[in-house]
Amino acid sequence: MQVTVTIPELETERLILRAYDDARDLDRFSAFMETDASRFFMGPMDRYGTWKLGCAIMGHWMRYGYGLFAIEEKATGEFVGLTGVWEAETWPHPELAWMLMQDKEGKGYATEAARRARDYIFNDLQWTSVVSAIEEDNAGSMKVADRLGAKPDFEHTRPSGIKVIYYRHPAPQTAMETVQ
Amino acid sequence: MTLSLNIPRLETDRLILRGPEAADFEPLCAFLMDPVRSAGFGTEETRSDAWRWFAVNIGHWALHGYGYFTIEMKDTGQPAGISGIWNPEGWPEPEVGWVVFDGFEGRGIAHEAATTARDWAYNTLGFTTLTSNILPGNTRSVALAERMGAWFERSYDNVHMGAEMLYRHPGPDALAEGAA
Repeated sequence: MQVTVTIPELETERLILRAYDDARDLDRFSAFMETDASRFFMGPMDRYGTWKLGCAIMGHWMRYGYGLFAIEEKATGEFVGLTGVWEAETWPHPELAWMLMQDKEGKGYATEAARRARDYIFNDLQWTSVVSAIEEDNAGSMKVADRLGAKPDFEHTRPSGIKVIYYRHPAPQTAMETVQ
Repeated sequence: MTLSLNIPRLETDRLILRGPEAADFEPLCAFLMDPVRSAGFGTEETRSDAWRWFAVNIGHWALHGYGYFTIEMKDTGQPAGISGIWNPEGWPEPEVGWVVFDGFEGRGIAHEAATTARDWAYNTLGFTTLTSNILPGNTRSVALAERMGAWFERSYDNVHMGAEMLYRHPGPDALAEGAA
């Protein structure tokens, strides 16, 4: 079995989207995942669980050829979150996901990063439509979805009983215009 | 960043050890979600968690160049279990692991697969020692480890599984001289 996947490096004004790197990112990623702030992003979990999640992110790239990018803050070089496509055999839809560490909130980073990831989805992957799954009480992510021009489209209840609202992003042409 | 996976295909009399494929997910998922069968390995509570483990394994291969092979029966092509080399964050050192799925016990499949994975780690990857971490009470795995020539070295606290027994396998030189 041979597979080769290249994870691109994408840039915005203040951020770099690049491959997740265990050696550079695990400490900060794990610090976030240990707190309750990670409850909308599969957490909380311990360092071992976070290591597994990092591994799953890389495995996802190998399996599908796309996946989640680490978000790096240009000014500090620090890992500040994740954005990109997350998909699972067991989920109803692939989605544009984002996660931002608490200490970097309030700067518009999540919107800036997710918008760049969405451009990648439309321009590089050539998808014509994409959704984001947001848990019903995740007000922070709903705000980001609003800023990205996404609208509630349909609901889904996970096997765990958690209700998720799928936001539909504007189609590629409209999305490009919202960048301006 | 370019990630490459190059998972070999190893053959024994009855088995093929190969990289994970999409069709392996269902039998793996059934195993991981079975609290009795997976007690010694680590149980996953939901299909999504099981899928994530599937991706973790692919990511583990990408990061380390080794991981769990799918054990395929030569005669029927059925996945019969997994075996390979595992070394997550927080593990004391790389271990050789094995699991057989429901209906494949009692035929020496785990022994044939684990011995092949161990030989591959020694001869191809250049490992000079290997361990197997076994939960107290998992007498079947202890019996197999001992049949492979491994011996109890110490108990330790595993980051994921709690108190475990560490078994040490004979190294490549000892094996060449006829140990196990």
